[in-house]
Amino acid sequence: MVISPERLRMLEVIMKLSIDNASRALSKTLRTGAKITLSKIYMADFNEATEKMNTDTREMTGIIVNFKGNLGCKMLFMLPLEGSTILTDYYLRQPVGTTKEFNADTESVSQELGNILASHISNTLVSDFNATLLPEPPQVHNDYAGIIFSSLLLEQGIYCDQLLLVETIFEICKTEITCYLFLLPELASLGKLLDAIGERK
Amino acid sequence: MKRILVVDDAKVVRMVIKQILTRNGFLVVGEAENGREALEKYKELKPDAVTMDIVMPEIDGIQGLKDILDYDKNAKVVMISAIDQRDALQAALLNGACDFVVKPFEDDRMVSALNSVLAKE
Repeated sequence: MVISPERLRMLEVIMKLSIDNASRALSKTLRTGAKITLSKIYMADFNEATEKMNTDTREMTGIIVNFKGNLGCKMLFMLPLEGSTILTDYYLRQPVGTTKEFNADTESVSQELGNILASHISNTLVSDFNATLLPEPPQVHNDYAGIIFSSLLLEQGIYCDQLLLVETIFEICKTEITCYLFLLPELASLGKLLDAIGERK
Repeated sequence: MKRILVVDDAKVVRMVIKQILTRNGFLVVGEAENGREALEKYKELKPDAVTMDIVMPEIDGIQGLKDILDYDKNAKVVMISAIDQRDALQAALLNGACDFVVKPFEDDRMVSALNSVLAKE
């Protein structure tokens, strides 16, 4: 599937709106400023994308959410392990530093933050663009960044050798956590989003 | 003191809801992780009201709501979910939910939803 620059620009606007909504929901959940910014949206070769990520050997917490509905999509929210302990403290309204290591609470907070992000992204797409999209329960993985990213792409790679990747940078107020949010819409269902905003080819 | 069953697959959400309810004079008598456990705990504990998430593994919150109302047509269930979509709201209300609170929520919103539902007894 070839996506023209015009279509990519439209998708960028759509994704920015849904990410803004998720950003607000996250700030409210953590009761601190959380800002998610769309960094880039682009077509990537499946093999190149996995090779690039495989060189990233940082240990991360990854939350993968599959969506069901007429717009197939996957989401990966990934942050350094120490970042997930800081978010646990914010979520539980306790001083930062209280949670020392990844534990059952950290896993549960990661799961819930994935749920909040995925739900609010899908809420915008559903209300503004006539999609049907419901998140499934999030899966939490602790592993190297490359391995988590590969597991996100694995199923997608079976069907196509190209991906539309939406990359974001994620900053939490008063901390230096850099998190990543990847959205991976299925190419086959992208046309439905574009139809909803008027461009038909 | 009104007795509440809290249903959510995330342990920390159940913990936070329990803290808010306890601070506001409710008694959380039980917790469940999905719709199947919710029905079991409902039968066992007979709570005055239930808070129910929607997206959960095994049996989701909409099915959990239906199952509880099949068992007890007078059950009072308040849905609490980050899903803010017309279809989900419609499914919840048509299947007998008393209210729908969207996450993230202010403490007062959940407390007033439960107070209002329980006042209708």
